[in-house]
Order: sequence, then C-alpha cells, then structure tokens
Amino acid sequence: MAAPLPKRIIKETERLQNEPVPGISALPHDDNARYFDVMVEGPGGSCYEGGVFNLELFLPDDYPMTAPKIRFLTRIYHPNIDRLGRICLDVLKNNWSPALQIRTILLSIQALLGAPNPEDPLNEAVAKQWKENQAEAIKTAREWTALYATAKK
Amino acid sequence: MKFGQEFQKALASTEFPEEWRGSAIDYKHLKKCIKKINTELESIGLDGETLHHLSEWMSPADSIQTVAGQDGKGYYSAATPSLAAVPEEFTPQLRILVDSKTGTPLDATLAPETRESLQKLAKHEMAAAGRREHVGSVKRPLDRLRRRTATEDTARKQSVSLEDARWVQVPLASAKDFFELLEPKLQELETLREAETAKLEEEIFDLGEAVENVVEPVREGFEARREVSYRDLYFWREMFRLYMEKPIFYSEHGPNGGALTFKEAHSRLEDYDMRIRSTGLLEKMRTPEARQAAKRFLDLNVDILKIMHFQEMNARAMTKILKKFDKQTRLEGRAFLRNLRTQYPALLTNGRTGTGGGSTSPGGFASSIARDLNAELATKVLGIVPQVEDWNCPVCYAMAWRPVNLGCCTSVFCINCIIKLQEEGVERCPVCDKETVLQANGRNIDFEAMDFMEKYFPLEAKKRQKFHDRAAKMAERGGGGGKHEEEKEKIPCRTM
Repeated sequence: MAAPLPKRIIKETERLQNEPVPGISALPHDDNARYFDVMVEGPGGSCYEGGVFNLELFLPDDYPMTAPKIRFLTRIYHPNIDRLGRICLDVLKNNWSPALQIRTILLSIQALLGAPNPEDPLNEAVAKQWKENQAEAIKTAREWTALYATAKK
Repeated sequence: MKFGQEFQKALASTEFPEEWRGSAIDYKHLKKCIKKINTELESIGLDGETLHHLSEWMSPADSIQTVAGQDGKGYYSAATPSLAAVPEEFTPQLRILVDSKTGTPLDATLAPETRESLQKLAKHEMAAAGRREHVGSVKRPLDRLRRRTATEDTARKQSVSLEDARWVQVPLASAKDFFELLEPKLQELETLREAETAKLEEEIFDLGEAVENVVEPVREGFEARREVSYRDLYFWREMFRLYMEKPIFYSEHGPNGGALTFKEAHSRLEDYDMRIRSTGLLEKMRTPEARQAAKRFLDLNVDILKIMHFQEMNARAMTKILKKFDKQTRLEGRAFLRNLRTQYPALLTNGRTGTGGGSTSPGGFASSIARDLNAELATKVLGIVPQVEDWNCPVCYAMAWRPVNLGCCTSVFCINCIIKLQEEGVERCPVCDKETVLQANGRNIDFEAMDFMEKYFPLEAKKRQKFHDRAAKMAERGGGGGKHEEEKEKIPCRTM
C-alpha cells in the first residue's frame, strides 16, 4: 500500500482547483493523486498563442524535496523542449526549492514558452534554426502550434 | 423607475440616519437647473443644435473650449472662499472662438442671427479686453487651433487671420446656480465621509480591544477560565477565517479586485451572516462578553455597508447629473469633475474606471471607505486572532512545529523538514536561497515562535507534537537527525 498522501499535496491540489491560475489547469488522476493531467495555454503575443498544450506531471515520493517530473505530451517546436517533451528549465533541476509548488512551476513553463532560450538548448536542431533564422523558426513554431496544439473539438 | 425617483425613494428609506439626508445631492433641483440653462442658452440663439454644430466642427479631442471660466475652474471657484473677493468675475461662461472682424465663429454652419450676436459680443469683448485678465488662458487654445489649422485647413487659414480670433465669453447665470448647488454638497459628503470613517474607526478600535479580551488565552490562573477562553479562541478563529475567505468590502485578488460595489458587498455580507448562523458559532461562545463582541462585529459591518451605500448612491447621482448637464447643455461638466478629484483626493480612488469601464468598483467616496475600513478591520480586529495559515511551514504546509529559523530570512520551518533537507544534502534555504540549511542545529529553534504557537494554536501544537514523536521513534536508527532529537527532549511540552 502506498503511504497516505502528504498534507502538502492535498493542499496544493485543493488550491489549484479553488484558485486556478488563468491559462493553466492541473487535474490529478482518480487512481493516482500524484499524477496530474496538465494543460497550459500558449502565452499571448508568443508564437504559441492560441495553442493548448497538454503535459503530464508526476510528484515523486520525496516531493517536495525533489522537483516534480514533468513532460510535454503535445508536440511543440521549442529550443528548450525535446522530441520526447522533456523540458530544460533550471527550476526543474538545480534550482528546485521545496518552497516552489506545482503552480509556480507551471507558470515558469508558461513563461518559458514566452521566452525561448536557444543559448541553453535541449533540442539542438530547433535551437540552431532559432539562432540562424529566427523568423523561420517562429513561423514553424506557429505552424506546429496550429497543427498539434489546437483544442480538440 | 427613473433614476431621480429611485434616488429620492432610497433617500427617504429609513435605512439612513436623518442627519445624512441633508448632505445628499439635490438631484431634482439640479435637473431643474439644467432646464434653466437651456432656456438661457436658447434666449441668446444658442440652441442645442447650434451648439452641436459648433462642437462638431472642432475636433472632439480638443473640442472647442466651451468650458466655462478659466480652464473649467470657474465652475466651482465661485463657491471657493479664497476667490470670493471677485465672485462676479467667475460666472460660468460659454466660450467660443470667433473671428472678431467678421464675427464668424470659424464655423460656417452657424445660423446668421447667432453670428450676429456673437459678433456683437466679440466687439464688446475687445473693448473690455483691457479690463479683463484672461489673456493667459486665451493663448493656449489659440496656439492649439493655429497648429490644427496649419495642417488641416490651409485654405481657411488664408481667409481668416487668426490674429483677429477672440474668445467670446457668454455668461451663464443658471450654470452658476447649478454648480453652486452641487459643490457644497460634495463638501458635505466629504465631511460626512470623514466623520463617519472616524466614528467607525473608533468602533473598530474598541471592538479590537473587546475581541482581544475575550480571545486572549489565559495560561496562568484558574484552569477553568483557561478552558473557556481557548475554546472561544477557536470559535473566533473560525468566524474570522470565514470572513477573510470572502472579505465583504474589499477583495485582494480575483477579477473584481479592489473595493467592491455596495451590491456585491451587500450580498457578501448576507452570505457571511448565513454561514455564521449555520455554524452556530455565536451560540457556542461561552461568555456573554464574547457573544456581545461577536454581535458588535456583525453590526459594524452593517454600519460600514450603510455609509458605503449612501456615498455610492450620491456618487451615482453626481455622475448622472453631470452627464445630463453635458448632454443637454453641451458645456463640459466633466472638467468640473476632474477639478473636484484634485480637491477631494478620496474621490480619486475609483480613478477613471468608475466612469468608463463598467461598475466593478463603487463610485465616489464609497471606494475609499471600503478600502480604508477594510484595512482597519484587518489589522485591528481580524489580526488579533492569528490564523494557522500564517504559521505554516513552506515545505510541508503544516504548522511549522518545532519552528526552526535558519537565520537567513524570516521564514519558519518545522524541524522535521529541516532534518529531511539536511539528509537530502540540500544546502540552500528553500525560501531565500542562502546556504544556511546544513549549519542549522538546535540553536535555530525559534522559541519565541514556539511560545506563540503553543499559546494560540494549542490543539494544532498538540497534534503536531504527537506526529513528531511518532516520526522520532521511526527515525531512532540515528543519522543526521540524532542531534536534533536530543534537542527536542530538552523542551518540556507545556500543552500536554
């Protein structure tokens, strides 16, 4: 049997439901309260605007001592996100702090969509394109957003 | 129902004290004034349509200075004591830019008779120019017009020598009446706001003391008395927690952040009243003093709501009557309102949003009343009963029991979380990022905070202590936490 859910996770989940962050949602699975279906809207004014991105988020046993595991499920053209949806973001790695939460992490990810950082790439090919021909890269990102990240009917 | 009737009816209701009524805006009378202004304007040939043409020709942005007096100031200055020395100079006037040679108000669409009368006025104006001291205020609009003409209207520029253009001032006695009627009311409303706010602040302060008396847990002395007061403490905490969950007058966040309208506040107070009733908290309170203080708290909220309602209604009446004034006379009453905002800073709080974007914030003085009294209540009454959320550990979100302060920032963590962090080899403080975690030891226990929590959260402290004891037993295999366990043993548990 799994250990009872820590108070912290219960509180975070409640708050995500009761005071949702605009453009972000995170719903825990019925059978696993540590596993969340996440939805993040592309930030306005970015090349991901209008897109709705699905992610999966998992809180490991030693959360909040370690960061949540999080991954994009929707395909996205972004220099800091690879083909498997893994994200290169400092607060998910070295800069994680137990005082951070699911909501702050999701906000950071949304901010990352608004400010791609090709200098610290995870997806070399995309980052290269981003540096060499930004206009073209942004165009592709828009196309991918329209192709993969538009809400299903 | 028309607003005028609605307003009169609300004023007549018994909800408001008799002495407030005299400060209310005299909506009916003001409406009559507007009618008189119109008659006056028509008598000099400036009927609504003519004025409309006149202002249409000018660009809407710097629409012709049909502003009475100097930069609109003349509206209320008639009633301002400092300017009382020259009152007759400040009769509101309609000002129209006219070519003094031809009498053309730079507008071909005016009726000939109007032009004639304006020409006469212009000549008269020139003769009186030496006497008047309006030159400074005349200059700016002229410059602006010159620029405008240069870019858009070169043909006209050649035919009309702008050097000859003059401001004609049409005195409007009825408009003066209008503002003389309106202005003192605003002063009265402001005085009323100040007086009522001061009264309510005093009540809030008194209530704060009363609440402190009934919730302050007594640690020494009679055991029975202590039992009573710390039970009550929990009732008060719940009562205030429900209040803060959905504040009545002011909302910190959400789409309707800021001061709430009377309507919203009213429904929130009703909602709160119902929730308090359903919990039966009032009946559970042990002492009559506690029950009385609780009732005072509810009454106080009703009183705040009342003055808010009164001010909001008057603000609406003022906005409506000025709108009517603008629409029917085409004089710019709004300039008057702008001036008022500098004179009564409290009016400023609703900024421009009150008039432009929907009714999310209450108008006029109601807004500052809501904000000020909400803040007073929060610090002087609600703050007396600490809420456990403010003492939660930022890592586990439970009360930070055996509180540890790392010395780098003000955050307080529970000892267990710090031990866990040390075991994980985390160096940096979760909140401020300084490398203080590994140096922490028994000396970092915050005894002051611990005392406070024991006093105000005895039940939570007990529960947390049990949890710790269990965790300590499980962790008896030693390791990084050993040192801290020793530390724990030294502390006598006063809540047990």
